[in-house]
Amino acid sequence: MDTMQTSVLIVGGGTTGTGLARDLALRGICCVLIDKKDINAGASGANHGLLHSGARYVFKDGETAEECRIENRLLKELASHCIEPTGGLFVGVAGDDEDYIKAFPDLCRRYGIFATQVSCAEARQMEPCLAEDIIAAYAVEDAVVDPFMLSLDNAADAEAHGAKILRNTRLTGFKMDKGRICAAIVENTRSGKTFEIEADQVVNASGAWADQVAAMAGAHIDMSYSKGSLLITQSRMSQQVINRLRPASDADILVPGGTVSIIGTTSVHIDSLEDIRPTNEEVDVIIQEGSKMIPKLASTRYIRAYAGVRPLVRSPGGGDRDISRNFTLKPHEEDGLENLITITGGKLTTYRLMAERTADVVAARLNNTRPCLTATRKLPPSPKGRWTEPGRAPKVWMARSDARDTLICECEMVSESMVDEIVASLKHEGAVPTLEEVGRRSRIGKGPCQGTFCSFRLAAYLYRRGQLDQAVGMDQVREFVNERWKGFRPLVRDKEIMRVELQESFLCALFGMDED
Amino acid sequence: MAETITETIQCDVAVVGTGMAGMAAAIFAAGRGLSTVCVGKPSEMSFASGCLDLFARIPATGTQTAQGFDDPFEGIETLSRCQPGHPYARLTRDEIAAGFKAFTDFMGDAGLPYHCSPGANQKIITPAGTLKSTFCVPATMMAGSRALAGKNPVLIVDILGLKGFGARQMAQTLKAHHPEINSVSIAFPGRETAGDLMCERLAWDLETPDTLNRFIDLLRPHVKGYTAVGLPAILGIYRFSELLATIQDQLGVGVFEIPTLAPSVTGMRTREAFLTRAASAGIRHFPVFVKEVAVDEDFRFFVTQGTQTLEVCARHLLLGSGRFLGRGLGKGDNEIQEMLFGLPVIQPADRGDWFSPDFFDPAGHPVNRAGIETDDAFRPLSADGKVFHHRLYAAGSILAHQDWKRERSGSGLSIATAFKAVSAIADDMK
Repeated sequence: MDTMQTSVLIVGGGTTGTGLARDLALRGICCVLIDKKDINAGASGANHGLLHSGARYVFKDGETAEECRIENRLLKELASHCIEPTGGLFVGVAGDDEDYIKAFPDLCRRYGIFATQVSCAEARQMEPCLAEDIIAAYAVEDAVVDPFMLSLDNAADAEAHGAKILRNTRLTGFKMDKGRICAAIVENTRSGKTFEIEADQVVNASGAWADQVAAMAGAHIDMSYSKGSLLITQSRMSQQVINRLRPASDADILVPGGTVSIIGTTSVHIDSLEDIRPTNEEVDVIIQEGSKMIPKLASTRYIRAYAGVRPLVRSPGGGDRDISRNFTLKPHEEDGLENLITITGGKLTTYRLMAERTADVVAARLNNTRPCLTATRKLPPSPKGRWTEPGRAPKVWMARSDARDTLICECEMVSESMVDEIVASLKHEGAVPTLEEVGRRSRIGKGPCQGTFCSFRLAAYLYRRGQLDQAVGMDQVREFVNERWKGFRPLVRDKEIMRVELQESFLCALFGMDED
Repeated sequence: MAETITETIQCDVAVVGTGMAGMAAAIFAAGRGLSTVCVGKPSEMSFASGCLDLFARIPATGTQTAQGFDDPFEGIETLSRCQPGHPYARLTRDEIAAGFKAFTDFMGDAGLPYHCSPGANQKIITPAGTLKSTFCVPATMMAGSRALAGKNPVLIVDILGLKGFGARQMAQTLKAHHPEINSVSIAFPGRETAGDLMCERLAWDLETPDTLNRFIDLLRPHVKGYTAVGLPAILGIYRFSELLATIQDQLGVGVFEIPTLAPSVTGMRTREAFLTRAASAGIRHFPVFVKEVAVDEDFRFFVTQGTQTLEVCARHLLLGSGRFLGRGLGKGDNEIQEMLFGLPVIQPADRGDWFSPDFFDPAGHPVNRAGIETDDAFRPLSADGKVFHHRLYAAGSILAHQDWKRERSGSGLSIATAFKAVSAIADDMK
């Protein structure tokens, strides 16, 4: 069996894992990051993309509120290319708890969070989508962050400083010697090849899978899984982030992103991490609740539903919403383990801080005394994250104005030359440019057609460029379509059903893709 | 509206819908000498492959895996035994065969010949490089089906800028079944620098001799050693038989078309063949969408023609309005409705059960089997199980208990059920 050696092995390629890889690499610490799928394949890629001002947490979790406030301002400076500084509103709707609303500004002040009262008329002028019966409004410093661009850029900068990122690499077990992990046994899920990674320290940044990874080393984490579902609207509903000013509940936050908006979330306790998908009931609840704050949500067209799992570390008693959204850093010393650290929980907004705290522990264990640089050094933009932003591809395509640059995805205007760039970037990383990988790096399939035409066109194009061979392309189209279907199935309403009928008549009646 | 009516058209049959079922019903009714009015916007025919499917597959059920059939009639016999509610179970082999004959004869006379092999499905190459089983193959696709059957060397050609049609994809995908296959890409004459080409545009271009000759010259260096050369279906909208003959003559090889995705030229040809021959066949066609029909003893509705509003008063009405794409069925918040008469729709009890979590579930999606319940003559039933109106008929994909997409039975269901419904109407008129 082949063996790879490094100082630190990071398990999990979400925002925390990639942020940690960068932090360690900037301190001059060698690291290897593995993910069983791809960058942001878990909860890091299935959230609102909201950079919290902190105001959401002032009632229940002052520490998180303050952390969000600090990180929000820091990231706006250091990762500005991933962030749209939209600003945000907190609004109360007729019937919401007025005492709660009254307490809000004082609590914000206590944690240093700006919350400026605006009149309801002013708020509705700023955001005409708001309900007529709003009763209070505060402006806050919320912003929108592209989590894919963020993680891809963190990964790219980590690699530029010597880190190695291994996608499609699944941890299957640890080789233990008493309280020490000697090696991680991993498998490349594409080739089936197994090899070992020997590391001085292992960081478990696997999000909702943290307990499973810890269990491989004989440690226990008491976790609770909370599924949150979100819906993407076909067009952008608001300029700013809009929060409902009430105790956390379903469909409280509307976040714009490029040309679309995202409304969510739900909080559904689940016991298994298999087959995470939004249900019809969740979709109905989100639309019904969301439309009390934003009436247009009842009639607008949705293009996708998706779900992520919040990794919550359990404290005795209380429901999932009451578990702290703060992060958990576990050095596992009490478990008798000397080189495993688990970092889980937390939020997108505080990913950098989580990485910093974890890196501090790792560095101390490795006797590395160099300071953290991620709080002062700008995150450089990389070509990898370029095509994930909604609305970016159309702008570039128009600017390039080359009629020969045929559009593969007409909904999101992703052209052949953009696919070429993504393919080149994937190959440079040693990845195989599959439909799934190209899809994850771009907006292909994420528009109203949901892959009906573009998945197949993309396959045809990748074949033409010699990137696909034999019959694998149709299997990839099947996977791609089913991944989109997962997010579209609960949304099928009046107009959408026509598109599904059309899609099925091509893919099944004509292509026979329902045959083995 | 009533005061501006310029004419009332009395007719034996009004056909609502101009998809496969509507066209077939109008053709059959006119063929039997019935006065026929046909209403419908240019339909989803622009999505059609041009092939006429009859039956090739029984989708999986809870206990059985999906079953494919080389002989469509054998398949229908098996189907009728295990799914007695299926529309095909109400038809005899002779009725189905007679329907196909009448339909393909009409199309043949209109310049759109088909090749059918009585007891067997044929294979065509799809733009995905898979093989599709179908019953009647347009003449322009036959050289490909023959080359496949004979295991002869085949070249697939695609055109730069025509997306979703990849010759290399098809060749790579087909190689396992058909090793002697290769691909090449060419630039379309006169459109070398224009991205995003549309099939319809190219089909018009090829109808001009100069472009056709340049196109043939571009193909010539590539075709040596092949028995058949596959092209996207762009060989003209009207003069396709002539163009195909010219290309084959000039190149000295068999040439065949491969269907493309929407909007497809093959579907346009079917529609154009129908429309150009409809008038001389005695069919009055109005390209309008009928939203409302008054029902008493007869069926009355309005159509517009230019600035005029005409009233149609029909003795019989045949509903061939299709499913969701055709707007025959529509969806309320939580249930599926029939859009013209509010007929009861057989459907899954809960919206959550409409679709399977696997898009490609071999059993198909439960919602696919939703539709209109009828009696043996294809007369829709009311909620109480009685015939809704003794001269109202339905045909095609609006019928319940079938899954045309998964059975590969779309055209066949339309043609055969329309044939039987029109026979019943003709009997009634005697």
